[in-house]
Amino acid sequence: MNRSRPLWIALLLIWSLLPMLWQLITSLTSSDALVNADIPFQQRWTLAHYRELLSGDPPFWRYLFNSSLVGGLSTLLTLLLAVPAAYGIARMAPASRRTIRTVVGAAALFPYVLLFLALLELAREFQMGNNLLAIALPYAGLALPLALLLLISAFEGLPNELDDAARLEGLGVVDRLRWVLMPLIAPATASTGILVFLFAWNEYPIALTWLSRDDLLTLPVAMARIAGSSIYAVPYGAYAAATVLGSLPLLVLVLLCQRQIVAGLTNGAVKG
Amino acid sequence: MNGLLALPALLLMALVFGWPMLRYSWLSMHASSVLTGLEPVSNQGANWIRLLEDARFWQDAVQTLRFAALSVGLEIVLALAMALLLDQRWRGRGVVRALSLLPWALPTTMMALGWRWIFNTPYGPLEQMAQSAGLSPLNLLSNPDWTWLATVMADVWKTTPFITLLLLAGLQTIPDDLYSAFRLEGGKTRQALTAITLPLLTPYILIGILFRTAQAAGVFDLIQVLTGGGPAGSTESIAQYAYLNAMRFLDFGYSATVMLAGFVLLSLVIFTAAVLLQISGLLRPLKS
Repeated sequence: MNRSRPLWIALLLIWSLLPMLWQLITSLTSSDALVNADIPFQQRWTLAHYRELLSGDPPFWRYLFNSSLVGGLSTLLTLLLAVPAAYGIARMAPASRRTIRTVVGAAALFPYVLLFLALLELAREFQMGNNLLAIALPYAGLALPLALLLLISAFEGLPNELDDAARLEGLGVVDRLRWVLMPLIAPATASTGILVFLFAWNEYPIALTWLSRDDLLTLPVAMARIAGSSIYAVPYGAYAAATVLGSLPLLVLVLLCQRQIVAGLTNGAVKG
Repeated sequence: MNGLLALPALLLMALVFGWPMLRYSWLSMHASSVLTGLEPVSNQGANWIRLLEDARFWQDAVQTLRFAALSVGLEIVLALAMALLLDQRWRGRGVVRALSLLPWALPTTMMALGWRWIFNTPYGPLEQMAQSAGLSPLNLLSNPDWTWLATVMADVWKTTPFITLLLLAGLQTIPDDLYSAFRLEGGKTRQALTAITLPLLTPYILIGILFRTAQAAGVFDLIQVLTGGGPAGSTESIAQYAYLNAMRFLDFGYSATVMLAGFVLLSLVIFTAAVLLQISGLLRPLKS
C-alpha cells in the first residue's frame, strides 16, 4: 500500500478533478474548435465565451448575486430559528427530546423534491413567487432538520451548570444565549451555517418553480435553462465558462471552510 | 419556556414538510387538472386506480430503484477505498481531502451539464477516445439500454465524497491499538481489513446507505439536466414524472398521487431494509 500510495492519490485527484478541468479547457476553446478536431492547436483558444457571458442580458454576475443573496438570507433565517430552538429542545425532558429528534431525523432523510407542488401552491396563494427574499422561507424550512440535529448535539455537549450559573447571575434567556452559550457553540454554528448556505446555493426544484423572471434566477436554474434551451445545440463553450465562474466562489468556500464542512457533514449524519 | 423557543422552528418545519403530505393526501382523492378547469373535484380514488395501471409510473419506479441501488452500491465501495487512503498519514492529505470534496459542493445542475458535454456524441472526450481506439460510437446519451449507466456515473462522481467523509469519521474512531494487537497476534495487514476495519465500520456504512438511498430515490436535478428523462423515457425518475404531471400536463391530482406513491415505495424499501438488518444483527454495534 505504501509504495503504491502516490498512484492511488493521483487516481483520486484525477477522478475528482478531471471533469472540472475538462470544463475549464472547454471554456477556453473556441466554438469552432469544439466541433472540429483538425483546427491547429494555436488557433483553438479564446476568451470569447467569458466575454459573451459577462455581457449577456442579464449579465452572468447577476445570477451569482442572486444566489449569494438567497444563500446568505436563508442561512441567516435558518440560524435565527434553529439556535434558540435547539437550545430549547436540548433542555427538554429526555422523552420529548427523543421524540423530536426522531421526527427531525426523518425529515432530514425526506427526499424534499416531493414537496415542490404543495410549496408552489403556497407561493401562489401568498404571492411569494419571483421574490428572492420570500424564497428564503422554504429554504430555511428545508434546511432546519439538519441545522437542528447539529445544534441540538452541540447544546447537549455543554454542561447544564453553565446555564444555571448564568441564570443565577440574573441573565435572561436571550442574554444567556447571546453572551454565554453562543460563543461556546460557535464551531457548530459555523458548520451549520456553511452547510445551509451550500444547500441554498445549490437548490434546484424549489427555485425552478418559484422563480421565473430572467433577472431573478439563481445559478442552478440559470444553468439548467441553458440546457433546456435546445436539446441539440447546447452552447457548451459558454456553458463551460459559466461553470467555471460559478464554481469559483464554491472553490474558495470549500478550501477555506473544509474543516467546518467535514465536521458538519459527519456530525449531522452520525449523531442524527 | 423551552417549548416556546422551539415553536417557530417546529412550526415552519410542520408547514414545509407536514402540510404538503396532508395536501397531497387530499389532492390524490380529487381530479384537479385542465379537464376540471384546475378546480378540485372529488373522484373516489380514480387517481390511485389509474396509478396501479400506469405502466409509465411502474417503469419509472423500477428505474428509480435500480438507479438508487447501483449508485449507492458503487459509492460505498469507492468511498471505502477513498476513506482508507485518506485515513493514512501523508503530506498534503488535507488539501487532497478538500479537493476531493469539490464534486459534492458544486450545484448538481451545473455539473450535470458538464457531464452532458463529456458524454456528448460525437464531440465529447469519451467518444473521441472511443473513436481513436477504433470503437464504434458509444452513443452514451441516446441508447435506452445504456444511458441510465451514464446517470449513475455522474451521480457516483458527485456524491461519493459525502460517504467518504462519513466513513473517514468512522475510521478515525477505531483505535490504533487494535491494529497493533492484531499484528502482535500474528495477523496480516490485509486480514485486518475484514477482521477489524469492516466490522467496526459497519454502522457508518449503514448510515451512509440510508442517507444516500433516501436522496437517490428522490433524484431529480441530475436526470432533468443530463438526459431530461430520455432516451425514450428510459432514465425518467418518479420525482420527474410527478414534476411533468404537475408542470407540463397540469394534472395536479395525479401528480400528488404519484408523489405520495413514491414516498410510500421509498418508505417500504427503507422499512424492509431495516427489518432485514435487524434480523441479520448487523445493527447491533450501533446500539452499544
